[in-house]
Amino acid sequence: MKTMKTPGRTSSLALLGALLLAPAAGAVPPHPDKLTFPKFTYAPPSAKEYRTVLKSGPVAYVAEDRELPLVSLTVTLRGGTYLDPAGKEGLAELAGYLLARGGTKSKTAEQLEERLAFLAAQINSSYGIDRGSVSMSLLAKDLDEGLAILREVLTDPRFQDDKLTLRKGQLLSDMKSRNDDTADIEARERGFLTFGEGYYLNRYTTKTSLDGITRDDLVAFHRRWVDPKNVVVAASGDFGKGVTRAQMIGKLDALFARWPYKGEAAPSVPKPAHALAPGLYLVDKDVNQGRVSVMLPALQRDDPDYDAALLMNDVLGGGGFTSRITNRVRSDEGLAYSAGSGLPGGVWFPGTFRASFQSKVRTCAFATQIVLEEMKRIREAEVTDEELRTAKSSFVDTLSRRFSSKAQTMGVFVDEEFTGRFARQPDYFAGYAARIEKVTKADVKRVAERLLATDRVAVLAVGKKDDLLNPDPKHPVKFPELTAGKVTDVPLRDPLTMKPMAPAAAK
Amino acid sequence: MKIRRRTLVAAAVAALLLGGPAAAQEVKGEEHVLPNGMKLLLVYRPDEPSVAAGWVARVGSVNERVGMTGISHLFEHMMFKGTTTLGSKDPKRDLEIIAEQEKLRDEMRAEESKMRAALRRGEVDDITKPESRTPRYKELDAKFDLLVKEQRDLLVKNEFDRIYTKNGASGMNAGTTNDLTLYFITVPKNKLELWFWMESDRLRDPVFREFYAERDVVYEERRLGVESTPTGRLDEAFDSIFWHSTPYTWPVIGYASDVANITKAQADDYFATYYAPNNLTAVLVGDFDKAEALKLASEYFGRIPRGKVAPPEVITLPAKWQYDLRFEGEADTNPTAEIRWHTVPFQHKDSYALSVLAELLNGRTGRLYKSMVLPADAVATEARASHNGMGAPAKYAGSFNVAAEAKEGKTPADVARTALAEIERLKAEPVPAEELQKVKNNIAAGSFRRLTSNFFILLQLLFNEGSGEWKEMNEGPKKLDAVTAADVQRVARTYLVKDNQATAFVTRKAGSAPADDDAALAGVPEQIRPMIKQSLQRLAAETDAAKLKDGIAKMEAQAGQVPPDVKKGIELLVAKARERLAELETAGKK
Repeated sequence: MKTMKTPGRTSSLALLGALLLAPAAGAVPPHPDKLTFPKFTYAPPSAKEYRTVLKSGPVAYVAEDRELPLVSLTVTLRGGTYLDPAGKEGLAELAGYLLARGGTKSKTAEQLEERLAFLAAQINSSYGIDRGSVSMSLLAKDLDEGLAILREVLTDPRFQDDKLTLRKGQLLSDMKSRNDDTADIEARERGFLTFGEGYYLNRYTTKTSLDGITRDDLVAFHRRWVDPKNVVVAASGDFGKGVTRAQMIGKLDALFARWPYKGEAAPSVPKPAHALAPGLYLVDKDVNQGRVSVMLPALQRDDPDYDAALLMNDVLGGGGFTSRITNRVRSDEGLAYSAGSGLPGGVWFPGTFRASFQSKVRTCAFATQIVLEEMKRIREAEVTDEELRTAKSSFVDTLSRRFSSKAQTMGVFVDEEFTGRFARQPDYFAGYAARIEKVTKADVKRVAERLLATDRVAVLAVGKKDDLLNPDPKHPVKFPELTAGKVTDVPLRDPLTMKPMAPAAAK
Repeated sequence: MKIRRRTLVAAAVAALLLGGPAAAQEVKGEEHVLPNGMKLLLVYRPDEPSVAAGWVARVGSVNERVGMTGISHLFEHMMFKGTTTLGSKDPKRDLEIIAEQEKLRDEMRAEESKMRAALRRGEVDDITKPESRTPRYKELDAKFDLLVKEQRDLLVKNEFDRIYTKNGASGMNAGTTNDLTLYFITVPKNKLELWFWMESDRLRDPVFREFYAERDVVYEERRLGVESTPTGRLDEAFDSIFWHSTPYTWPVIGYASDVANITKAQADDYFATYYAPNNLTAVLVGDFDKAEALKLASEYFGRIPRGKVAPPEVITLPAKWQYDLRFEGEADTNPTAEIRWHTVPFQHKDSYALSVLAELLNGRTGRLYKSMVLPADAVATEARASHNGMGAPAKYAGSFNVAAEAKEGKTPADVARTALAEIERLKAEPVPAEELQKVKNNIAAGSFRRLTSNFFILLQLLFNEGSGEWKEMNEGPKKLDAVTAADVQRVARTYLVKDNQATAFVTRKAGSAPADDDAALAGVPEQIRPMIKQSLQRLAAETDAAKLKDGIAKMEAQAGQVPPDVKKGIELLVAKARERLAELETAGKK
């Protein structure tokens, strides 16, 4: 056990082996920086090549791809959980799930499921926080039957009562687990801190709201919001023997023609009015690893500083093992498995900067201190040329991977259309590399100064409270001294009402 | 929806090993073997201008022993720490520091041994607490930190990652399962030589620097994935019991006290044995020139000498079990039941019929959903089955499992009873032709769907190769398609039997039930509310059924003699006490 083989010995052995085996001595350069590569410049696909406006209204992105006998279709719908009326929280989610799961005019839910399963066709529907989606993947030979089913799912969902009851039971069961996993608790309380109690993202489904949702509510939701006015479509794959792209576009047009109901255009996503209040927020839960988030308000995706912010965050904590927070919290100190930062550019409203990690409860304060040090450092001194180069490559040279299949490419373009960026910047991807390359070290420092006000951070920690406040004597960092604001105890919420529970009742 | 689950990597295996059918498209791989025994598999797919590249080492936790469990996975982490060329500004001094660190660590291990002795004598209660460290240990630890600091100043931090990233590579990662360890990345098509340079360098000349910090990282990974999750420890215990007598009995991530004590010397030995080229297969999928790739493979991987000793065979066979084992536990989770049977390993001739059997049970049109979730008096909210999936492993031994979450008002025992009835039906009656065809159609479509991305094709090839051989990706589907209704019935009768079975019931931990007390308390007069609320909290934490029964009887006796206002409070207490009693009885039910 104590006889140590030094890597030095391994290496000389290996070298000897290399001498004996290498077919051409000297062919291998001593360092990867000495390698030379053939020139290659990537030209991303252009949305315009695939975009068409159907006669029946929706914009569609259509790409033929005959490698495999499969076809996939996605109908993206404007609308989302923000459409839930007060007291009916959960309506959009239920309606979305049951569109494809509750039967249609000509088929019961059971008949529909059996037929789709026999065809090995997959159909899914849902409404999320800012959009709905009905997607289908099937064998090329079944396309026409699939389209007929899809038309019925979109226009005449049956919303069978027994399937509504079943789904409510499943959702209730999920609700009961709301306090079981610290990851769920952390995500939820982060939402409350960021957007405030009243914002739609924090209007959770409760037992009462779920009980109050009826089949009539689902029908009304469908009639009002599932409408060609709210639709963007993607289709890719093998459209069948002899079927051209133009003919496929004709089929998609028919999918939305002669709509039987008069729906409404969905309103835009509401903007939050709440401001993140600095301070330390503690949730007491008896686990041996704490979860910590350090948060600050950030940017919208269209902000002129966004590209620089993206690179800044990549160096700070977004770039994994090439970023500073990961290097210090994880590699240097061994304090966490996952440690880093994210700076999502909000689509509809400014996003939130978040540095986060999970560490044994008594080293959470120490790791938080390191995170804050790194936030200060990137604000106070320019990043190195090497860091900026690495960050730029991680965006520019990986662009092709966002378009690695036709289905993925159509998905990207639908998102551009749906979020309005295509209308503003139709050549967003063509200019992408040049925009990233233009960012300077001074830009990075400037956006760090703009965004990373370490004296304004809100820190959320979930874990055993006594231990969070009782640091490992090796690193006696006092959590409350790290933030400017006060220390707030955040009680767990009753999972069925989402009302804060009295601290004594909380475990 | 949370059903009992294993570590992520292990759970992903099932999906990757379940192939597609006869009509299916095959993966056209070109196989080569270098003189040093390393296998190379080339799959040309020019859709995207990049190459998904990886290699698998035929080693996993199954090759470990107690006392150093978790070393395969820790080792996977160490492979990113650099080489003599990459990672340090002064490789010579770096190696000296590592040697000095090891000397100190030997002394620290002696102190750790004393700490364990103190624990066994009851002088300390937990040696992971900072307060349990001996004064000598703290002294050594401070010295060790100085060496770490000196080493850190010489480091080119995570240079291995940085070189790849600045060259436009992405998605670099690795994974460890019971059976195999795999490493993968995607590089731009013009940078294939970089991949050969980097991978051959870390296989030829790795330096395991920052070993002890990385060990702490893995311990945090264990806390993240197991110890701080609602059911992590229970899952681990059930796995351990189910796989007892085999080297699958310990978790891939390792036992907590082992992870904290793996030594660098053990890691060095492990590398020499299991990472020799004759134990590895490299795979490329994407846009590259085959002749060029072969030339680079011979130039770069050809430099690595064949291992001196062949990796030892896994000898232990699962014991014949001949009992219906029961496991029960409590956690912060909705009640669940899992039934697991010992079956057959990957590529066994009966494994195909067992996979088809699992698919007959699975999905929204599967038999479990129809009998357990859909009926008006359903017992479960969700149910699923798998062969060599959620019950893992695969290479040396197999498992079939059924798992479901109990619906409100139903118990894990109800869930198990209904699931077993479905299994019995499969034994009694042959599966109708159309139902079998449905499963085969889905396997056929799946065989196309699995071929839509370079990276996913790479992963499947690495998993198949690590569990047996990559060609199974093409052969397996044909065998699945040949399964008959009689085969399904036969394997159900052979393997899904009582003396081959283990059942796990997990119920919600006392007091962690969602307390809808505030709403219930609304009907109680305000002046007695605090008192009633306190009593409710005590009730929720009560674990003695006899005490509860006694309390209920007393309260009911009193209810007639108190003022109407107070009576409401007592009624609420009685109702809650009955609920708690039912919970306890459910948990205790066999």
